[in-house]
Amino acid sequence: MGFSADSRARFNLAQVSVLVLEETPLGMSILVQILGGFGARKVYRCDTVEKAERVVREAEVDLLIIDAMGRSGAGFDFVRWLRRSGIRPNCYVPVILTAAHTPAMAIARARDCGAHIVMAKPLTPRAMLDRIIWVARAGRRFVECDGYVGPDRRFRDAGLPRGLEFGRRREDGLMLPG
Amino acid sequence: MSEPARIHTPDIPLGRLIRMPGGKNVGQAVSDAEKGLETLHGESMKELQRVLEKAEDYYNRANKKFDGLLVNAFYDLINGAIGLPTVGKDRAIDSMLVSLADLLDYYRISGEWSDKSVQVHLNTFQLLLRTEGARDPEGTEAILSGLQKVSRKAARG
Repeated sequence: MGFSADSRARFNLAQVSVLVLEETPLGMSILVQILGGFGARKVYRCDTVEKAERVVREAEVDLLIIDAMGRSGAGFDFVRWLRRSGIRPNCYVPVILTAAHTPAMAIARARDCGAHIVMAKPLTPRAMLDRIIWVARAGRRFVECDGYVGPDRRFRDAGLPRGLEFGRRREDGLMLPG
Repeated sequence: MSEPARIHTPDIPLGRLIRMPGGKNVGQAVSDAEKGLETLHGESMKELQRVLEKAEDYYNRANKKFDGLLVNAFYDLINGAIGLPTVGKDRAIDSMLVSLADLLDYYRISGEWSDKSVQVHLNTFQLLLRTEGARDPEGTEAILSGLQKVSRKAARG
């Protein structure tokens, strides 16, 4: 994209279909309010993996925002299923994976399931818009092989999200001096 | 024998749709989203109060010793609450929840349990809920920094 979340440029989500998988009602409300504020009109709200799979089979979606679903990791499994489903064009759609607690193991699972990007909660409107604009950029290559289906995991390391001096995972803290 | 990797660049409609005429200015969109979130503030605070009560119940039921099922349920409860306080722009409660989730994640994997480390988090949870909207930023920062040290110390063993 030619703009960042800091710019005064315009963007348009009015025609974008978004699938949200989030099991908690308040977590769903937060995402719906954020997307509604951005101007998104078509949001498929799914509180179970089964409902999300049904939407993927029956409708065309342009963006997926998937919660990792806690300890069960059902969100990771859903993305892995989506990428291998062969349901075109949905199987190639950008996926933003959200997670509450993010130990390093969860980040590795997110990377390997085929998500475009992982966002640690709490979600703020600015950070969410930044990530939506980022995943909308064309040109991310897709890799399909025996062990992995999803966007190319090799891309430039842009560093930590704005406003963070260091990572929030316990393991990140352990790497700090002192 | 494994198949060779197929590498291609699929068409992403999102990139085209987002550039269509109309839409919103970035600043306006963020502001509208924040206004929408403000409508959830009361609901979020009620939910956090419920989470605190449930967390205290788990803590009391643990009775100063490790209980695998209980720690898993406790972890799930706290994990599910991360992100709710930010609806009211309350980063402090979220930081406390992340620190407590770190701690419980370590306990559920290691099978250890430290009553005091959990208790200090719950006391802070109570304090932060009680003083919501009327806190001394420096004092709050010092408390949160202390909690993170507790979690990291536990993780080091």
